[in-house]
Formats: sequence, structure tokens, C-alpha cells
Amino acid sequence: MRRPGWTRLARQPKDGNPAPPSSRRDRIATRLALLTVVGIAVAFILSNNMQFLMPGPLASAHGSIENCSTCHTNSGSGKLSWLHGLIAGDRHADSTACLGCHKMPDTAFNAHSASPDVLKRSTDRLAKIAAVTPAPHAARAQRAAFPTHDVAMRGLYCSTCHQEHQGAKFKLSTISNEQCQSCHVVKFDSFDGDHPKFENYPFRQRTRLVYDHEGHFGKHFPEVAKKDPARRIPETCATCHNSGKDRRVMGVASFEQTCTSCHLDQITGKDRVSGPKGVAFLALPGLDLATLKKKKATIGEWPSASEAELTPFMKVMIGRSERGRAVIKAVDRLNLQDLSRANDAQIKAVAALVWEIKGLFYALIKGKASDVLADLTIDGMGRLSASLIADLTASLPSDVVIGAHQQWLPNLGAEMAGRMEARAPEQGGWTTTIKESRVAVDSGTASITGSGRREAAEPRTEVESSGKAATDPPDSAARKAEPASAKPSKETAAADAPPRTKAADQTDDLLFPTPEELRATKSGAKDTAKEAAPRSADAAPDHGQPTAPPAAAPTRADTAAKPQTLAAPVISIKSDVDPENWAEYGGWYRQDYAIFYRPTGHKDKLIYSWLSLSGPKAPKGTKSPAAAVFDALASKEAQGSCTKCHSVDDLGGKGRVVNFTPASVESKQGRFTQFVHEPHLSVMDNRGCLTCHSLEKGRPYLKTYEKGNPQSFVSNFGAVKKDLCQTCHTSSMARQDCLTCHKYHVEGATTPMMDTKNPIE
Amino acid sequence: MRSAVRRASSGSVGGRSIQVLLIAAISGGLFWLVWIYGNALRDPRYLDGWLLAGGMAAQVYFHVARKKARLSPQSDMRWRKGHIFLGYLLIAAFISHSDFSLPDTAFEWALWSGFVLVALSGIIGTYLTWSLETARRIDDGVTYDRIPTRRGELAKEVHDVVATPDPNAAEFALPATPHDAWIADLYSTHVHSFFQGPRNYSAHLIGSRRPLKRLTDEIDSLTPYVDTFGQAKLAAIKDLVAEKDRLDFARVFLGLSRAWLFVHVPATYVLIVLTALHVLVVYAFSSAAWW
Repeated sequence: MRRPGWTRLARQPKDGNPAPPSSRRDRIATRLALLTVVGIAVAFILSNNMQFLMPGPLASAHGSIENCSTCHTNSGSGKLSWLHGLIAGDRHADSTACLGCHKMPDTAFNAHSASPDVLKRSTDRLAKIAAVTPAPHAARAQRAAFPTHDVAMRGLYCSTCHQEHQGAKFKLSTISNEQCQSCHVVKFDSFDGDHPKFENYPFRQRTRLVYDHEGHFGKHFPEVAKKDPARRIPETCATCHNSGKDRRVMGVASFEQTCTSCHLDQITGKDRVSGPKGVAFLALPGLDLATLKKKKATIGEWPSASEAELTPFMKVMIGRSERGRAVIKAVDRLNLQDLSRANDAQIKAVAALVWEIKGLFYALIKGKASDVLADLTIDGMGRLSASLIADLTASLPSDVVIGAHQQWLPNLGAEMAGRMEARAPEQGGWTTTIKESRVAVDSGTASITGSGRREAAEPRTEVESSGKAATDPPDSAARKAEPASAKPSKETAAADAPPRTKAADQTDDLLFPTPEELRATKSGAKDTAKEAAPRSADAAPDHGQPTAPPAAAPTRADTAAKPQTLAAPVISIKSDVDPENWAEYGGWYRQDYAIFYRPTGHKDKLIYSWLSLSGPKAPKGTKSPAAAVFDALASKEAQGSCTKCHSVDDLGGKGRVVNFTPASVESKQGRFTQFVHEPHLSVMDNRGCLTCHSLEKGRPYLKTYEKGNPQSFVSNFGAVKKDLCQTCHTSSMARQDCLTCHKYHVEGATTPMMDTKNPIE
Repeated sequence: MRSAVRRASSGSVGGRSIQVLLIAAISGGLFWLVWIYGNALRDPRYLDGWLLAGGMAAQVYFHVARKKARLSPQSDMRWRKGHIFLGYLLIAAFISHSDFSLPDTAFEWALWSGFVLVALSGIIGTYLTWSLETARRIDDGVTYDRIPTRRGELAKEVHDVVATPDPNAAEFALPATPHDAWIADLYSTHVHSFFQGPRNYSAHLIGSRRPLKRLTDEIDSLTPYVDTFGQAKLAAIKDLVAEKDRLDFARVFLGLSRAWLFVHVPATYVLIVLTALHVLVVYAFSSAAWW
């Protein structure tokens, strides 16, 4: 019988006896196996890459990846380099490669990519629920046979849940309920099954805006409607609320669209009944001059009528240097207007404070605020940008400070010039800033000329700080000037100087000096410059001219006499409006011995920037300058009334935060539950939003904002019940898998811009 | 439980039912185990993959042991049954490992095809064994190698039967009856060619007896028209035809019983090579999941 052709592959034995079939079979099998090995080797050699070893095509999002080593980091680009993967290396190397494109926090490989603290809290909470919910048998078996705790503790791989090579259409982000239940000690068969009831959902965290719905609906709106029927009152929820661009978070419409008609005047201070309508920014604090004189404190000239207090902003500005901080600390608990019990060290600190304040004014006149405050930091915060400083000073016009100087401290220039020279080696702080700019002091008028300002307009005599007169300490200069001064007790550097009075025709408002004022200032300055020129020349020892007496008494006398007219320029127009009301729509004004800032409206930059910057450095109860600023601007009675609506979160040791930014998808990161409003908007019944959010009267909503804990919250609305969701989310209707409402990566994962270098040749 | 296993291994209908139930239960258990393993933050492909690889190694050991003649006839029988039983379980493991889906790359297709070939050939072999045992149509002592010889013997026997003269006719010297001519005609037109080689391959493959019936009907249709001696001749021819048909059946099934192993064993060798490469590739690209 003829053997089938395929059996001829088997070799015939030499003795002529047919080989047993098993032997022939094995020979065929061996040759076929060898052929397979050769075939694979040929495929290796002929192939361009390792694609033929792939277990399946990549998902479409990864379709452009051609090199295995892009994800499989141990696999090189060589034909056999993939074998390197067999050698142990970094367990998370491949998962770390994923993070190259999918940006995640450092806790990426933790369960839920959450921090250990968050995980612990969540686990504790779930464990409580688990204690009363029996686990199914499958879950118990799984826990016994394959415990997940150790796996999770070692750090999860991206591929634990996201299995690649499943085809182009495969959705990598799909996570099954069972995968969620790998770790969760409580296993729910479905949402409408054993899923626990909601606990005060969605009010686990209070809203960022403080808005008492009950108060507005029940009291404010009816009152407003009664008082002014023309005023617009929200008619529907949608007047104020919309689900935003991302259609996820139910946001609030802008201030201008909603609250402005009733609340703008509260911000600008128009509705304020008592207290200043502006924020005292710079001030000459009232001092106990009698005591200071008695203790022979050297402070130069100082208005005795001031009852102002040292502003918190000045504390921050002065406290920018080590010396300034020491001064602020030393005087912080002193009553500056009653120093009778102060010891010598404290008196000395008060004197130092005076010179710091004078230095601040001097520097702000000499240079731009952004330059002067360039090294401003808030409790160790990094260097602030020029634009931020501009915000922090609301672009403080120089004329405001100059006006203050002219009226309050007319001899500031001479005093500072003299002090600088006398104490240059030991002075830091403002002196450093001042020395950097060219000091131009009109010795005759003691007016300060800012560098780059007015030089072209008026000739003046510039006295270098090495001038003899200037080298005298201010107190000695004051003493020398005293006998010759026309008003020695008022104007010169005597601690007991009586208050300087304003010229009758002088306005406090220097925001917009009148042309007359400017002309008066200029002409005065010009005259003084002319008068000062020869003296100045005389005072310069290196000019070979006869040296003036060390303390030219007549000159000092002149100086003391003249500032009164120069500092208080003649204003021919008398304003009928006080400065505070003059700045009705916001801005700077000067009143008494303080420079005030009145908020310009919602989102006022000065108040916003100070609150934002000082908050994180101002833990509740601390006495730091930053805390003083924050407390001043965030108090109930604070100008701007920011915290009337914007809640303040107390972050414990990390300070406080005013919630200026509205809730967004980003702000909800870190939460395990998500809710998208949009798909639910069309399924509400005729009660609209009230279908889910029922307004409940008498709840202590506002009380929850009295403390800083954002987690403590009682809403005006009742909690959403699980039963309500179950009307749709059942096995026969809407989805009810875990990821419908929960998210795994609580901190999210983003795809950053690629690092593309500019094509510069 | 022990009695159930004994019954299962006995090969009776009840035993086979228990076997099927056992395979179904173990397969179900395997799927469940893999499912909870995957739910425990582990890649289930490693579990069912290693179960599959372990099972395949046991199957290969059976082949090697038989080849080396290490097994006693009794052990061989037990191992054979175990081989078949484990084979069915490995199909379940393979389905689990391939995640109830078809492959989508060339290398995966090669692996998949290799396993499917081995499994299918194994199932066919099992079926052949079972169907032979069930049909009991192969005479004792008939082996595949003896079939041609026996077929030749039968051809000679049927020729001798046809050629045997009627002793009564010689005794009375009567003229020859036409009966012999009819039988000779039957022999030359139908029977002779039937005995010349294997016949009705496809009918035997599907278990059909129609060709045999056609031939025996021819013989039976002649029976009423011949004398007693002729009837005895026809009866003898019919018996020989039936035996020849059983031989043809035996040839088909014993041939197939050998042939499927020519697929099963070489495919297994190829599968071993591909599996080794598969394991190597999997661990090289495993993202350190096994460290």
C-alpha cells in the first residue's frame, strides 16, 4: 500500500523494517519544532521592529507610539534588547513613563493617587460603614486568597487598571465595579442594592460664597422690592446660577450680574455709617511726644496732633528687614500715645520706628514704589513682582506721598540726609534704597526731589550727603535750628513740637493737585533753590569755598520758616467736599495724618492682593504683621467687605484663605464623588431645582461661617437623598456603576504641553 | 467522592456524565478563581497562564513517559484518561487566558492556532476512541497493519465460495443450473470489486451503513431464485461481505486513530516552542509586574 505523502517526511530505517508510527511522528514533530524556531529567527532578522511580538494593537490614543521602549523602559531599540526586561529593575519605571504624558501628583501610585492622610480618613470612614454591612462570600474569599493590602502598599502600577494592547477601540479608562471592589472592604452589588445611604450629600464642604438663601428670599428681597420696586430681584435660580462652561459645576453668575445692585455701595464704603470709608494705608502714628522729649529721644520733627495708629501695611513694609521686624516687634505692644511706662529700650525702639517711618516716606518720594518695595516680602514669601507691588500699593501716586510730606514732615529731606550721613555705616533698611538713588536734597527748603522727577522743571542745588549740615544728627540739627526757627516748637525736630496746622486754604486731597497747587509748589521750590544755591556751594568743602559754619543757624532758621508755606501750598479753591467723599468711587485720599485708600469696587486689586498674599502667612491668632493686615482686611467691619460674601478657610498652621475663586472642576479635585449637573437638568419635574434642593427654614447656615473650618457646614438646603437618585439610577434605567458618581484619580490626570524648543537658529 | 471518581474512570455512561460534570465544575471554579484574582489588583493572565503552562507540561510529560516506556499498562491507561481529562480542563484555562476573545496579532494567532490544533486533534482522537468503543464494530484481533492481509484472505474466501461447484449437480450429471451463473454474475459485477481494496471510506467516516446495505440487498434479492445450495453460497458471501465491511470500517478508524496523532504530537512540539517564546516575551515586557 502506498504511504500517504506526508508520512514520507519520516526517515525509513536502514534495516528496511518500517519504523513504528510513534517514532515517525516524533521525528516529524521535532523537525517541525526546529522549523518553527528557524521561522521565528528569520522573522526576527527580517522584521523592522518588534511589532510582531505585540500582544495586540495599542489604544488609539497611544497609536502613534512605535518604540516599545517608550513605555517599556527596560526595552531598548535593538533587536534583542527587549530581553533586558527580564532583569529586575525599578518596579515603577514603566508606570513612571506614563507620567511623562499624564501629569499626576507625587502620590500617583497610591490608591486613588491620594495622599496617605486622605486615604486613611476615607478608609476609617468606610470601615465604619463596613462594620454594619456584611461582605459577600466572594469578597471574603478574595480577601483570604488574594489580599490586596500588600499590593496597594507596594504602590500600584498604571497597568493594574489600564491594560494596553487591547485594540484601537478599547477604552483604557474603563474600570469595572469589580476592580473598584478590589480594595473596598464593603462590596455593593449595585447602587440600588446595598449602596449606603448618602450622608449630608452634597454638603460635605461649605460653599465658597456666603449667601444666605433663606435670608435673601425671606427678608432682603421683599424689603428691597417694597422699598424700590424698580430694582431688579432674581426671579429664578438661573438668574444667579448656571452650570458653567464645563457643564459640571453649578456656578454662580458674576458679581456684576447679580449682587452689584445691592452690594456695590458696601464695597466702596458708600453705605458705611461709621468709621473711615477707606483703608488707612500710610500714617504718622500719634506719639507721646512729651515722654519722648523727657527721655531725650531723638526723633526729629513729628506732628503732635496725630492720633493715627501705625497701619498694618506699614508694619509689613517696615518689617521687610531684620531691623524693621525687630522694631515692629518691640513697639507692637506699646501704646504709642502713652509711653509714660515705657523703659529706655522701648523708647529707643519708638525712636527707631519714627526713623523707619520717615525713611519709608522718604524712599517712596525718592523712588517708585515698585523699586522701593522691590525687596518686600510677606513673612518669608518669595520676592514679589513689580506688578504685584503695583497692586499692593494700588499704584500709589507720588503726589499723595509728597503732599503728606509737605504737610506733615516738611523737613524730612534734610533730616534724612543728615541721618544718612551720620549713620550710614550702621543703617540698613530704607537707607540702602535711598542711597542707591542719587540724593538730592534742597538744603534750604528741605524738600525732597525724587530722582527723575521735576529735575527738568526746576533748577535746584543738590547737596551731596557729605555736606556738613547734613551730617549732623537730626536731633543736633534740630537743637541748632531751634533758636533761629520761626516756629521752633512746631516745625522742627523737637519731640515736644506742637501740631502743625494746615493752611486754611489747603486741601487734603492730593490725588489730583490743582494747577495752582503745582504752580505754588514749583515756584516755592524754585525760590528756595535759588536761595539755597550759594549756601549749597558754600557747604561743599571740596569746592575750595569758605566753609560754612558746622550748623548754619541762619540757614536752619530760614529752613524752619519756609516749609510752612511750601509744605502747605496755597490753594485758592476751597473744596466743599471732604477728601473721603471726594474719593467716592475709590482711590487715594489724605485725611488727618493718614493716607487712605478707598476700594474702587468689586475685585479691588489692593485689597485682593493683600488678602491673598497675607492669608497664607497669617494663621489665626498670630501677631505677625501679615496677620495684622489680614485681620484688618478680613474683619467684619473691614473696608471692601470682602469677607462678607467670600468665606475664609482656616488652614491651621498654613494660614487662612479667602475664597475668591469660584468653585470649578479643578477646585473639586481631591473629592471621591462627582456630580455633573447638565444631564440632570432635563429630567427635573416642574419644581425645577427644588426637585433635588429643598429650601429648609431655620437652619444655622450663617453660623457655619463664623469659624474657619470649611468642612463644618449646614446648608440652607436639605441633603439630597439616595432615594431621589434611585428614581432613575436603577438596573433597568440609568447607569449605576461606580464610576458614574465616583472617580478614581481624585487629583486628576492632565496632559501637559509638550516641551517644544523654539526654532531659534 | 472516591466512588464518583471510580465511576467516572470506569467509562460507563454514568461515569462519563460525572466526568463532564467534573470538567464543567472545575472549569467554572477556574474562571471564578481567575476572576477574583483579577479583582485583587493582580493581572489574571499570569494566573491562568501559569495554570495553562503547568497543565501543558503535565500533558507533555505523559507523552515523554509513554515514549520512554516508563509506564506500566495499567498506569498507561490511567494516564491516558488523565491526559484526556486534563486536556478538557486546559481548554477552559486557554479560553480564560485568551480572555474569551480571538487574537489580533500574527504571533498571537500562531499561538492560538497551535493550541486549537492540539486541542481539536485531541478531541478528535478522544472521539474516535470513544466511538470505536461505543460502536464495537471492529473484530477482536484486528489491527491496522493486519487489515490488508485479512482483506486478501476474505477476497480469496469469497472467490472460493463462488467457485465451489454444486456436489449434487456432479452426482446426477444434470445440466448446469442458471443459478450459478447468477451468483457468478453477482460476484463479478458487485462483490469482486468490493473485495479488491478498501471501500466506502466516506460512508465509514460518517458511520453510514448504506453501501453495505445496498450490497446485501443485492444478495438478498437473489436468494429466492436459487436452490438451497445457492442460498447457502449467498449466505456465505453475505457474511464475508459484512466482515469485509467491518474491515473497511476498522481501516478507516484505526487509520484515523493513528493519523490524528500525526497532527496532535507535532502541533504540540510547535506549541511548546511558541509557548516558551511567549513566556519570555511576556516577562520581558511585564513592566516588572512579577518582581
